[in-house]
Amino acid sequence: MSIFLKLTSALMKTVEPTSQEKKFKKVFYVVMSIIAVFGIMLPMAFLVGVIIYSLTGPLIKTGAGSNGVEMFLQIVSVFSFVFGINVIFTVFYFSGDIESLLPLPLKPYQIIGSKFTAALISESIMEFIIIIAAFAGYIIATGAPFYSWIIALIGMVTLPIVPLIYCAILCMLVMLISGFIKNKDTVNKITGVLTFLVIIGLIALVSTSGGFDTEHLIKALSDPNNSLLWVMNGVFPQIGFLVDAMTGNTLINLLYYIGVNLAAIGVFMLIAQLIYFRTVVGISGGRNTTGRKSFESVVKKTRVRPVAATYMKKEFRLLFRTPAYFMNCILINLIWPLFLYLVYVLQGRTSFLDSFIYGIHSGDEETVLIYLLAISGVSVLVTAANCIASSAITREGKHFSFIKYIPVPYMTQLNVKAAVSIIISGGGMLVYVIAASIYLNIGVKLMIFCCILSLLSVSFTSYFGIFMDSVNPKLVWDGELNALRGNYNIFFNMALAILLEAVICAAAYLLFKFTGLGALMIIIMLFILIMLLNVMSYLLCKFKATKNIEEISF
Amino acid sequence: MIKFENVTKTYNKKVKAVDDVSFRVKGGEIVGFIGPNGSGKTTTMKMLTGIIRADVGKITINGFNIRHDPIKAKESIGYIADSPDMFLRLKGHEFLELIGDIYHVPEKKRRERIENLCTRFELNSALSSPMMSYSHGMRQKIMVVAALMHEPPVWILDEPMVGLDPKSAFELKQLMRDHAKKGNAVFFSTHVLEVAEKLCDRVLIIKNGHLLFDGTLEKLERENKNESLEKIFLELTEK
Repeated sequence: MSIFLKLTSALMKTVEPTSQEKKFKKVFYVVMSIIAVFGIMLPMAFLVGVIIYSLTGPLIKTGAGSNGVEMFLQIVSVFSFVFGINVIFTVFYFSGDIESLLPLPLKPYQIIGSKFTAALISESIMEFIIIIAAFAGYIIATGAPFYSWIIALIGMVTLPIVPLIYCAILCMLVMLISGFIKNKDTVNKITGVLTFLVIIGLIALVSTSGGFDTEHLIKALSDPNNSLLWVMNGVFPQIGFLVDAMTGNTLINLLYYIGVNLAAIGVFMLIAQLIYFRTVVGISGGRNTTGRKSFESVVKKTRVRPVAATYMKKEFRLLFRTPAYFMNCILINLIWPLFLYLVYVLQGRTSFLDSFIYGIHSGDEETVLIYLLAISGVSVLVTAANCIASSAITREGKHFSFIKYIPVPYMTQLNVKAAVSIIISGGGMLVYVIAASIYLNIGVKLMIFCCILSLLSVSFTSYFGIFMDSVNPKLVWDGELNALRGNYNIFFNMALAILLEAVICAAAYLLFKFTGLGALMIIIMLFILIMLLNVMSYLLCKFKATKNIEEISF
Repeated sequence: MIKFENVTKTYNKKVKAVDDVSFRVKGGEIVGFIGPNGSGKTTTMKMLTGIIRADVGKITINGFNIRHDPIKAKESIGYIADSPDMFLRLKGHEFLELIGDIYHVPEKKRRERIENLCTRFELNSALSSPMMSYSHGMRQKIMVVAALMHEPPVWILDEPMVGLDPKSAFELKQLMRDHAKKGNAVFFSTHVLEVAEKLCDRVLIIKNGHLLFDGTLEKLERENKNESLEKIFLELTEK
């Protein structure tokens, strides 16, 4: 047990952010944490709680009170499984510590047990909050007894175990039966494509269901012959036992719940003991392709380019060639519109959307203002979420010193890093903005304005993200995925960006509604404000981020 | 060419990694920098290249103050860092092109230098492969090629022989001698005392951030009753 605890604690350190030495940075992080908790985590938890509360009330009347929370937790488990595959593959098979751990006199289940626990804790913090919020909504709606809160707390920390065990077993079996996957990048590509396909499949499944409104959803959830619920209960049986333990037969359901978890852990440990060492030996850390070009042709093709152009090329190459960055920074730009489409499909053709399209076509000022605010908001969110800017310095990792010893001014390097974020995030946004504008038939002039507004929003978020990363970049990481995992800079940047944009949008809308100012005036004010934010974030980079880089002793 | 004057660097306001150290490296000199682990060698190297800022003191490279004229100073340096694991997803030739553009190496000269250095270090067949597929030694060799490509007047090399095969180590030592002969400065750290003995005009010995010795090997031997460099080093650093 002591080996397990010590090993887990050592492995946890590889995903922890770098410690704060300066008082200013400590204060900065505390302030950012408060903003993140109150700006994102609590509102999100509140929203989940309200959804479950609203679903559970009507479901109780149909005699299927627990189906809403169960279905929600099953969906959370499916997402945990899908997004866990890549993490588990990396942690079990392709992290840098494997070469140090394998020669030690440790049993396979000890290594796997510790690696699994470290991954579970670091991956599931947001999931813990969502789970407890869902239980809170359920407990309040059902009036379940006080000890339900204790059960909810147990569920909060233990529910993510089974989906991740599924990932772990799947990973080990895949490695066992496919001797050809001995390369990190191949696995990353396969899991990337799999994730993408699962999301597309999910959308296709939902599209054929004809959309869900609340009434439809309650009807489906209370249907005793609902095959989806039946299947999901079979895949994640522990969820049903835990929810049932809150409202009746507490002890027996709790025992069942613990039994299912222990059985899953037992099977997992047994499989690990039997096959982990057989599958982990002989794996290479990255691409191992042989160059095909001759030396003469390579030398002949050498061309002189401007420093910024060649530096930018380097940034693009690293982003596109590193699977962890490609998945989290590039592919995410393709995945989020699919989620947006999923929400659209789930909602069906609601009266809100109809009136919105009508409002745009008829040139209604309020609708146009909402459209512009939405474009600015999504642009900010997308740029912060793909973390190209907010991990730009962190991604340098061990070779951060390169930034400092080359004869290129820091600001030139930061400008290039910002430009990369603007090109990828802004390029993606332009495609979606133009597509949406054509679909809504808003006219060329407004479409061009939308594009400019989107690019300006992307631009200030990019510069701001770089500044945020410069405050305390996480330069010590083991494996590129760990540069992004557990990186507070990315999370804080996203929290701040969302909060700032929410305040701007709310202020603009309230000004329009309650001051009598016309939409055009509000739009001009919005444009000026976004321009000012651009200037401010640029100056922050020029004077503060460059100073921060100068001060980093690494 | 290198002036390191009364430099002090303290980490976390507690640990003095380099304490009031001064030395000079003139053109035409090869100077070895030796000391036990944690003695302040890498901190000194990093301050020389502008990676770390000195708390006190003045550092001048080729006449340019690293603090006030950092770009000019850095342009004068060819630096090999202590780890060659850099931009491993780039191919060898892509990395060299990046360095060539950063240091403004003209096309013709760039081709000549790549051809010459890669042939000397037997990297020709590896240039179009990703550096991730290179062995540690090959990565070190490509770092050497990159650092020397723009023919800088000052070479600052942090443990440059680590990982090199005997032939490549020989080539590098030869390049260092040729470079110094042209009136340039070579400053390198090493743990291999034989390398320092055979190559250096002068050695600096550092321990706990203090410079214990600065002079020629002959002077060192004279002052220590003609004992071997290894013995002198051990006696000096274990005091």
